[in-house]
Amino acid sequence: MSNLIDYKNITITLSGKSILDIDHLTVQAHQCTLLTGKNGSGKTTLFKIMSGLLKPKSTHIHYQGLDMSWQQAKPYIQKDIIYLHQQPYLFDASVADNIAYGLYRSGENKANAHQKVMQALDWADLSHLAHRPAKKLSGGEKQRVALTRARILSPRLLLLDEPTASMDTDAKQQTSLLLQRLKAEGITIMISSHETHTVEHIADRHLHIENGQINVIKRPTHSDKVTILNPAKNNS
Amino acid sequence: MNDLSQASVSAFQLLLSGNSDIWEIISLSFGVSFSAILIATPIALIIAFFLAFFQFPFRRAIISLFNTFMSIPAVIIGLTLYLILSRSGPLGDLRLLFTSKAMIIGQVMLSFPLLVAMAHASFQAADRRAWETAITLGAKPWRAFFTLMHEVRFGLIAAVVAGFGRVVAEIGSSMMVGGNILHATRNIPTAIALETSKGEFAQGIALGMVLLVLSLSLNAGVSIFQGKGEL
Repeated sequence: MSNLIDYKNITITLSGKSILDIDHLTVQAHQCTLLTGKNGSGKTTLFKIMSGLLKPKSTHIHYQGLDMSWQQAKPYIQKDIIYLHQQPYLFDASVADNIAYGLYRSGENKANAHQKVMQALDWADLSHLAHRPAKKLSGGEKQRVALTRARILSPRLLLLDEPTASMDTDAKQQTSLLLQRLKAEGITIMISSHETHTVEHIADRHLHIENGQINVIKRPTHSDKVTILNPAKNNS
Repeated sequence: MNDLSQASVSAFQLLLSGNSDIWEIISLSFGVSFSAILIATPIALIIAFFLAFFQFPFRRAIISLFNTFMSIPAVIIGLTLYLILSRSGPLGDLRLLFTSKAMIIGQVMLSFPLLVAMAHASFQAADRRAWETAITLGAKPWRAFFTLMHEVRFGLIAAVVAGFGRVVAEIGSSMMVGGNILHATRNIPTAIALETSKGEFAQGIALGMVLLVLSLSLNAGVSIFQGKGEL
């Protein structure tokens, strides 16, 4: 199992309070990781640091064979890692335009982008929503559009913040199905969730965040041995 | 009342007759004000964005300063600019006083704080997820900035319209640094003041009607635009 990316010394302080103090976090390629933790435990902050959206106090990253500071790694991780908010933000445009957004930013021409968008909509069973204003969609539909918008860019790591929160059973089921498909396509996924039952069946490992530190607490779908990522801190 | 009706009828006749003096004044007025807004808007939007999205020393003080300058009287701007541009002033050698360029500078100074303050309020109210989503989907910061502007476009357009409304109707600065010179720096507000002081109400009313129509058109335009964008 190869490592996709290693983060070392993830620390961040907000208003004088230490939010995260993680010695080491490894994300393994093509795996799905479930991240749990109480509200305010730093899950969102961690995801934002991991995706290059929030500057930590001091973090080093090993990525694509290079050891870099977070600042040096920022362009690479922003390119390859996509973060989805708990309630995904869709731009004030049609669903198709939302999905095409990243393609245009990466220089895709209009014809190719259109074709890819149609295929992506088909993949997510969202073709009927293509021309609907994105702001008018329900929470579940928005989540699926956001997942499709992320998938079309073939990210190396997808960070999903509570993807099934505040959804009805049907919407949860549909979102869960998309997550399974994403995993089957080999996309590395990290999901933060309180509702572990909706996503644990696709998770290869389960991390728990508490007091700003991370531990592997179990592997839900395999009986492999439990490894502690942060032994120094746990022994102390 | 009768005088007013007669003056109003004469005003319509003046406008419809294509009176060259009147239309020259209108054209100068719009030219100066559009130029001022075109110059002030891009810089104001960038400053407003930085004030709303980034933390840096004296940020709050700068915001307060712009809010204060938003309501500064035009005549104070005019006086300050007059002192700077007059022959003995620091920029006297540029010989800009009593030119339309000086009027544009004055109107830029007038509209700038209003544009920054209103645009800042729009950016401040914007959903931060819009910025983060654009960045995480691969947009460069400048592209994410344009995306964000699109998301808050109604507020930004209202800011620009308010800025234009502020400068097109101001008299203090234009009078002081423009000098109200016919065929050179006479705009609608300075012409209205002059004609009214001479008792020539028809021209004053005609020009006033142009401002009124402009104001109604801008407001109607913004309302239609906002209505179309309503989801």
